[in-house]
Amino acid sequence: MSDKAQAGPRAEPVTFFKKNRREFLLRLGTGAGIAAIGYQGVASLRSLVPNVSYDAPTTVKVGLPGDFPDGLKFLPDLRLFVFREGKVYHAISAVCTHLGCTVRAEALSQPERRSVGGQELRLTHRFQCPCHGSRYEGDGTNVSGPAPKPLAWYQLSVAPDDGQLVVDLAAEVDHDFRLTVA
Amino acid sequence: MRFPMNPLRPVAPEEQAPGVHPTPLWSVRPQSDRQAGDAVVSNFLLHWFPAKVSKASLDWNYSFWLGTVSAALLLLLTLSGFPLLFLYVPSIERAYSSIKDIEFAVTFGSWIRSVHRFSAHLMVAAVFLHLARVFLTGAYKNGIGQGQRREWNWVIGVVMLLLTLFLSFTGYLLPWDQLAYWAVTVGTNIASSIPFVGDPIRELMLGGRTIDQPTLIRFYVLHVLVLPGVLGLLLVYHMWRIRKDAGLARADRAARLEAPAVVTPGQTKTYTLLGVARGTAPTVRTTALETPDTTVNSVPDLTRRAMIVTLGTIAVLSIMSVFLRSPLEEAANALVTPNPAKAPWYFLWLQEIVTLTTVRIGSFTINGAFLGGVILPGLLVGLLTVWPWLDRSPSAAAGVWFPQSRRTQNIVFLVLVLLILTLTFVGTFMRGPYWQLYWPWETWPDIPTRL
Repeated sequence: MSDKAQAGPRAEPVTFFKKNRREFLLRLGTGAGIAAIGYQGVASLRSLVPNVSYDAPTTVKVGLPGDFPDGLKFLPDLRLFVFREGKVYHAISAVCTHLGCTVRAEALSQPERRSVGGQELRLTHRFQCPCHGSRYEGDGTNVSGPAPKPLAWYQLSVAPDDGQLVVDLAAEVDHDFRLTVA
Repeated sequence: MRFPMNPLRPVAPEEQAPGVHPTPLWSVRPQSDRQAGDAVVSNFLLHWFPAKVSKASLDWNYSFWLGTVSAALLLLLTLSGFPLLFLYVPSIERAYSSIKDIEFAVTFGSWIRSVHRFSAHLMVAAVFLHLARVFLTGAYKNGIGQGQRREWNWVIGVVMLLLTLFLSFTGYLLPWDQLAYWAVTVGTNIASSIPFVGDPIRELMLGGRTIDQPTLIRFYVLHVLVLPGVLGLLLVYHMWRIRKDAGLARADRAARLEAPAVVTPGQTKTYTLLGVARGTAPTVRTTALETPDTTVNSVPDLTRRAMIVTLGTIAVLSIMSVFLRSPLEEAANALVTPNPAKAPWYFLWLQEIVTLTTVRIGSFTINGAFLGGVILPGLLVGLLTVWPWLDRSPSAAAGVWFPQSRRTQNIVFLVLVLLILTLTFVGTFMRGPYWQLYWPWETWPDIPTRL
């Protein structure tokens, strides 16, 4: 404002700071205030995102292979079905792929044999979800209801120290996965 | 003039000036207009009322006083929430047993919990009916006043309905019974079905990757502090906006009935004091509002009805809660999903929608959790929010039940409501084990609860 009054050789290139010191300080203060409050807000929200997970481990020993019955065993705390057919094992999740309820197994009156993942598999059960009525076949394939995809298959292995079966709930596997225990 | 307000104290002449009130007390049975106005000006609780109010907007069969019923229920929820706040323990080990204590060991505990629970259920219904009334009467429409922004009060109302639903959701999680556990499971999985941001959102809601103590404390803080706080603030703003918008839409309607030809330029009525100075407040220039047969004093005509509604609501809830116990399911069990697992009645239409909306296009599948749990409800809420701007009916349609000019939209609204009610009915009475359809009179097959 005042630069117009002092019309002279240096009237044109007055710095932003000198020209609008009042405005500059006002903006600086407002900006600093917004930045400070914003950062405090972000800090408060960030503190709600956990850095340490106290969740149960995803790799769990589930018992000696010989202790599993032929057919199906449900492990409720892992929400997992472990299947055994002789020496061959595989594991299917009991978590419905629609909204995460625990599906229930229903024994088939007549077990059927089918090629699953290129290998033959004996299907002894089918699964149904109590929350929204999704249905799955014995290999976890979704057949009706709102479930968008098949039940997850998880990796099984044998623990090298004590020979127990180990399930890895973080490692999804294809439907051709079979664990053969000698 | 002397007023018989406090006969023991003589009224000094300077106290008769406008804005100076002879006594801080006020009468519920004012003897004069001046006394009636003084009640509003001098009493803090009454200051949000205008001195005079349109008679027609007080009609029982115009608004059914559903907003007041909702507010009374909120008051009751706050009051009954306080003792529960002292008795409930937000820990996953002790929450269920503390509710059991409230139900079976605490004196009057069962009654207090029932008041709280039934108020919550009825509040969902009352707030929804209030919204339906406002829609069907076009009460979000601006009338003859300048500077009215009724559409924004509608938007606030929609937000308050969502808050009411979220308060109910967080509320029924707290007992940490089977209903709570599986509602959290389903609710947070709906959030996680959102592409890209879903999983972080679920983790933020749960405070981890599994449902555990951090989950309960999060929903607890939301239920007892955050959501009631926001709802309270919005309620206050909602009420203030009614004043700024010159009362209910029905009041504009009443003003319109008289021919505007007899208006003299000097006669203005403003609804705010500051508005006079700034000239920004809604001003209604009409004779109809001035005539004694269209307006009444707020005290006692408005306050009497507000008291009848509030006390009536409290009485109904108090008596109802003596006879009706609040249910409690088994303690939360992560190992067993109840069969069938049903949400409370006001969410069952959503449970139906997420069941029905998984869409398969070739090999591509959209989860019903996303389509029915996020997209469709989002569209409904979005449409409700912007509806006042889409509604092109004349302002004469404001404050009237079923006007001809709004017939189509009212019918569409009612059809949608009917659809939601039908889905609610199906979910409540026609879903059995494994969410299969049964007739309401059919017996469900016996299915073992455990494997």
